[in-house]
Amino acid sequence: MKKSQPLSVKTATFIYLLLVALTLTTWLAGQSSLQGLSLSMLVLGIALFKAQMVGDYFMGLKSVTGLWRWVISLWLLIPGSLISIAFFLS
Amino acid sequence: MTEESNQLNQYPPGDLAIWVFILAELAVFAIFFASYAFTRMSHVELFNQYQQTLDRDSALINTITLLTSSYFVVRAVQAIRLNHRQQCERWLWAAVLMALLFLFVKGHEYAHHLAAGVSLSTNTFYMFYLSLTYFHFMHVILGMVILIALAIKTRKGDYSDTEHTGIETGASYWHMVDMVWLILFPLVYVMR
Repeated sequence: MKKSQPLSVKTATFIYLLLVALTLTTWLAGQSSLQGLSLSMLVLGIALFKAQMVGDYFMGLKSVTGLWRWVISLWLLIPGSLISIAFFLS
Repeated sequence: MTEESNQLNQYPPGDLAIWVFILAELAVFAIFFASYAFTRMSHVELFNQYQQTLDRDSALINTITLLTSSYFVVRAVQAIRLNHRQQCERWLWAAVLMALLFLFVKGHEYAHHLAAGVSLSTNTFYMFYLSLTYFHFMHVILGMVILIALAIKTRKGDYSDTEHTGIETGASYWHMVDMVWLILFPLVYVMR
């Protein structure tokens, strides 16, 4: 197996700080009086983006080619779509 | 510090077997998430009402704790790739501390629910909340045991810049545990 490509400390730290900032945004949305489909889709979108960042940068899939590159994206598509459909219909 | 390269790999980092395991785990969590969302369709009021009884502040702390542990694991992988074994071990132990903090905060939440008489049979929302979070809780314990084993093996000199597949394998599993929580947190604690 070929050796995977390293992620720089600077990039890893930036991604980490971005993830923390997005987490605080989600928490603030939860603390607000907002509710309904708009809030749900906003926080779900943020969550899917954060998970994609973890897959791409922390798990190293950005340095991978072929089907493995998209394995996390494909996974996120399934619960993401099903949760969206369920919230749209409720 | 290392520079990123444009060279792409055929396989993800770590042992390929862990990725098959990760996909199986993710499939189970996807079923759990979809079941929660579709069951909620017929109990919207109940889910919204009891979601308000959850401690969102603890969930925030736990999300940041898991993200921080994931970052520490990334730093551990970076360190061993440069053959900095001591640094790698320190980052791994730091990640273990974060895992322990997660378990402590979550355990505190469970104790609070238990004291309030909440159980799996209280209502449908709590059934999902307790099942989902406890299933994830068990994964955190397993991931923490893996991180401890990696730290011990690193101290013994089992890993180097040329052989660190074990660390990449454990790191991939730990990131999966983090990633699942990133979906679970908004779904159970925030979306209403």
